[in-house]
Parts: sequence; structure tokens; C-alpha cells
Amino acid sequence: MSNDICFLAEFADGVASRSAMELAAGARELAAQSGGATVALAYGPGAAAGAAGLGAAGASRAVVLSDTNVPAVTLAVAAAAAVRGAHTLLAPATPNGRDLAGALVGLLGVPAFGPVRAARIEGGRLLTEQATLQGTVITVSQPADGAPQPSVVLVLSGTFTPLEGGTGKAVVSQAGGVDAGPLGQARIAESHPAEAAVANLEEASMIVAGGRGVGSADGFAPLHELAAVLGGAVGASRAAADAGWVPYQLQIGQTGKVVKPALYVACGISGAIQHRVGMQTAQNVVAINKDPDAPIGEFADLFVVGDLFAIVPRLTAEIRRRAGG
Amino acid sequence: MKIIVCIKQVPATTAEKRYRADLRLDRAASEAVINPLDEYAIEQALRLQESGAVESVGYLSMGPEQAGEALRRALAMGGDEAYLVTDAALAGSDAWATARVLAAALDRLAPDVALMGMASDDARGSLVPAAVAAMRGVPLLSYGSELQLHGTTARVRRLTAAGFDMLEAPLPVVASVTDQVGEPRYASLKGIMAAKRKPMETWSLADLGLAPADLHGAALTRVVEIRKPEAKPPTERIENVGPDEAVTRIADWLAARKLI
Repeated sequence: MSNDICFLAEFADGVASRSAMELAAGARELAAQSGGATVALAYGPGAAAGAAGLGAAGASRAVVLSDTNVPAVTLAVAAAAAVRGAHTLLAPATPNGRDLAGALVGLLGVPAFGPVRAARIEGGRLLTEQATLQGTVITVSQPADGAPQPSVVLVLSGTFTPLEGGTGKAVVSQAGGVDAGPLGQARIAESHPAEAAVANLEEASMIVAGGRGVGSADGFAPLHELAAVLGGAVGASRAAADAGWVPYQLQIGQTGKVVKPALYVACGISGAIQHRVGMQTAQNVVAINKDPDAPIGEFADLFVVGDLFAIVPRLTAEIRRRAGG
Repeated sequence: MKIIVCIKQVPATTAEKRYRADLRLDRAASEAVINPLDEYAIEQALRLQESGAVESVGYLSMGPEQAGEALRRALAMGGDEAYLVTDAALAGSDAWATARVLAAALDRLAPDVALMGMASDDARGSLVPAAVAAMRGVPLLSYGSELQLHGTTARVRRLTAAGFDMLEAPLPVVASVTDQVGEPRYASLKGIMAAKRKPMETWSLADLGLAPADLHGAALTRVVEIRKPEAKPPTERIENVGPDEAVTRIADWLAARKLI
């Protein structure tokens, strides 16, 4: 048993993901409350070379589980050995993070929380806050009396803010060679890259999203222009992805990405509950919709009733004008 | 080849939710449906059965007795048999306890594929598929937009940051699928009638060789507080103005929040 706070640090293309930086800051915050160390479990292409750099993000130690692109669940046995007895493990609420977290719950028989939007440790005990039942209630949970450690906590993106200007290196070790057993047998048999690069919505602080009201693939052009002038990315509702107007990687909602940008501009999106759960924690929501009764009008911060094709290009021009460009 | 689809009965999205004094959802008092994302797993299993790749499709659910209704609804869509694990000791189960019970039931049923939806509508953790795979010691193929079976191998197509991967593992596996497998079918009247005659077994915890003590009182987690989300400030509206006026006001609003 220790008071250490571990976190999963996903790497892609040699770089630590935004979620790794957020969870490093969160783990450090919790470690200050628990009185333990902050330990990264790093995996993905570039993890071996990048693990020491997690020190600047808040980690004191880093264990490298893998340096290649494998299904994260196949790393669960090695991860279990690394986190056994720790106080808490923070995992990103991404497909790989959820799989690895779930496998650890199964292997270690430990409590699972989340996806949470807040976590803290009080008097040595973890407290987490989760929005459940499509966000209609907030549930505060803790480990049951006598529950074994570590608590496994899925964390929504945007819950913690990455440290800035940090320095220092994490002490890096390699996970021991363990037999992963059948869990290690899932493998990537083929990898098919897309023809065009797709924005990483989870890392965008400004998102312009389009729905059914955008009407076509071409209809997304003004949204891309607005996103460009805001320095952000374009997302979509399931209706727009199902229609084939944008790739599924841009879908925001229950079965797509869960995002928490500083600004979310919803264009022609009615605001079904399945979409709402993907963006309801955005700090500022502007909705543009022709229908004055669209459900999104109930939870947007600013609701503009009007034609998005008249408004969006003018807004792009106005923002550019005010920026002096 | 046999698939068992694990399904969960959840409160309907639109249902009013009630809580008991111990802060658990009163599932009996809420209108309940098959978890919408589990319907895609059902659809995937039935398509594989129709293609001849799978002989038998069964359903497994854990829940109160009324979860039997969800199993009947699944049987009305197709498939052959259903199993309900219900026990007073399971009320308030968390992800770990749920996985433990499903793993024990699946050990008994020994399917080639234990298939699940990608998440439940109410809890949204997506932890159970991997936890069940880890407990049973079988590979996991998760978040598939399609499940394929080839001989002794299972494959799923999974979206990646840019394109897609094909993930592969030897059978038996636990797999989960997304809402991209294709729209779930509706139960026909004929299907509803046929479902009434399909076998459904009910198992208690003891039937699975588990004791309440094995489940730590059904949960390793404890809810200490339930509250409504913070009330947000009312929505500001811009309407009945021309686009130029609207745009000026949007830009002012964004500038006031230092977003531009």
C-alpha cells in the first residue's frame, strides 16, 4: 500500500497527448493531498523517449509499458504490476484509457469511478464527482469501506489543467517483462490511415460544430473558415457524420468525442441529449439555429435564431476585421 | 459458433428518475428500455447469425426481475435464448461487481463471443467489457464498427484518430461494438409472438456459485451524495434581427469573454 497517485500517459507520434498532460497535473494535485509520489504509466509510440519529459508536466516517476502502437488492453498485466497497491490511478476517458482501466479493475478487483469531472482526496480518502443519467444528476462517490487500492478513476478531458513552465525529469523505468496471457493476444492486424488528416477535437480549445442544418458536405466550408479564424477545429453531430458530410472522427456526442473547449459554436445542431453529453461541459456555448424552439436553445449560453449560412461567413469576416487582419 | 450478447436495462432517456433513501436509482419506478447502445450489439449478432457465421445467439442480463422484459424485447428482435441473473444482493452493483457476475455467468455459458454495447446510457463508463475480459482471461476486441468471424479468429474494425485499424484475436473473445454497425431492427409482431415461447432461464447469485460476500456488498464504491447540477445562467437570445446586427452582437459577446 502506498499513497502514490498513478496516471496513464498516452503517446502518439512521439508526443505525450493532451490527456497525459492534464492527468499529470491532476495526479500531482491529488498526490499533494495524499502525500505520495506522482507516477506515470506511459505507452504508445514515443513513450520510451518521452517519458522523462513527463517530469515537467508533474510526474516524479514514469514506468514505460510499451513504446509501440498496440491495443492498450494488452498492457494491462504489466500495468497491474506497476500500480498494485497505489492509492489511485487516473485514466483518460478515451477508448484505450477505458479499456486499460477496465482490465485493471478486472485483474486487481478494485473500485472504478467515472467518467468524472472532479476528484480530490480528503483525509486520505478519494472523492469523485460524476454527471450520470445524461447529466441530470451529479453523483459524489468514494471507495467503499475496506475496498482494496488503487481506485481506478476515468477522467473527462478538461477536468485538470496542464502545468505551465514546469521543469525537471521523471525517473524512468521499464515495466518488467511479464506474460500478458490471453489479454495480450489482441493485436492490430491492419492499419489504414485516412486520406486526409483529421483534427484532434479533444485537444481543440475552440470548436465549430455542424449538424443536420448544415445540409451537405459543402455546407461545412464556412464552418471550416470560422474555425480557422478562431484557431480551432471543426466537429459535427451524429446526423452530419451519418450523412457522410464529415468523417466519423469528427463526431461529438455519446458515441463520438467528449469535448470541453473554451468555446463551442453549434451550427444547425438541434441539441439531442446524445449530442449534449459530448459537449455540455464546454465553457461557452453559442448556438446558431433557424428553429427558435430547438432544444439546444435551452442549454446554450448564447442562442442566435437565424440562418447559419448568412451568419457564419459574416461572423468570420467580423472576427478577422476586429483582429485587424 | 455461439454469441452471447450482454444487455442492460436502463431508464429511458426521457423517463423521470427517482432515487431511494440510500441514493440508489429506483429502477422499478422509472420507465425502462434496452440500453440503446446494446441494441447495436444485438443487431451485429443477428446479422452474423443471418450470414451463417453464427449458429446461436443468446442474451444475458443482470438486473431486477423486470429486466426480463428487456430480454423478451431482445428475443423479439431475434436470437434463441436468454438468461437473467437477478438477486436482491445485486442491487446497487458497481462496474466491478457487474463484471464479476457477468464473468461468472459467461464462464457457465462459454460463448465464442461475449458481445456488448460500447457503453451504457446511464453510467457511461465503458469499463465492463475490459473488466469481464480480464476476469475471464480472454482477449478483448473493443469499439468495433463491425465484428467479423473467420474460423477460429475474431476481428473488429475500429476507427482511429485518422483512419481505421483491424484488430484481431483468437476465439473466445469479449467484444464491444459501436453505433456504426448498422441501425438496429424493430421487433416484428411475429417476432414478439415468437419471443414468448423462447427459453429464458433465471439465475440467482447462488446458481452462479457466488456469495454476496464475494461481491463486497455489491460494490467497491459508495455514493455519498446526489445533487442536481449547478443552475446555469439563463440563455441569452439574439432573434428577430438581421444577420449583420446578429453578427455584431455575437462578436461583442465573444469579445466580452476574451474568446476573440
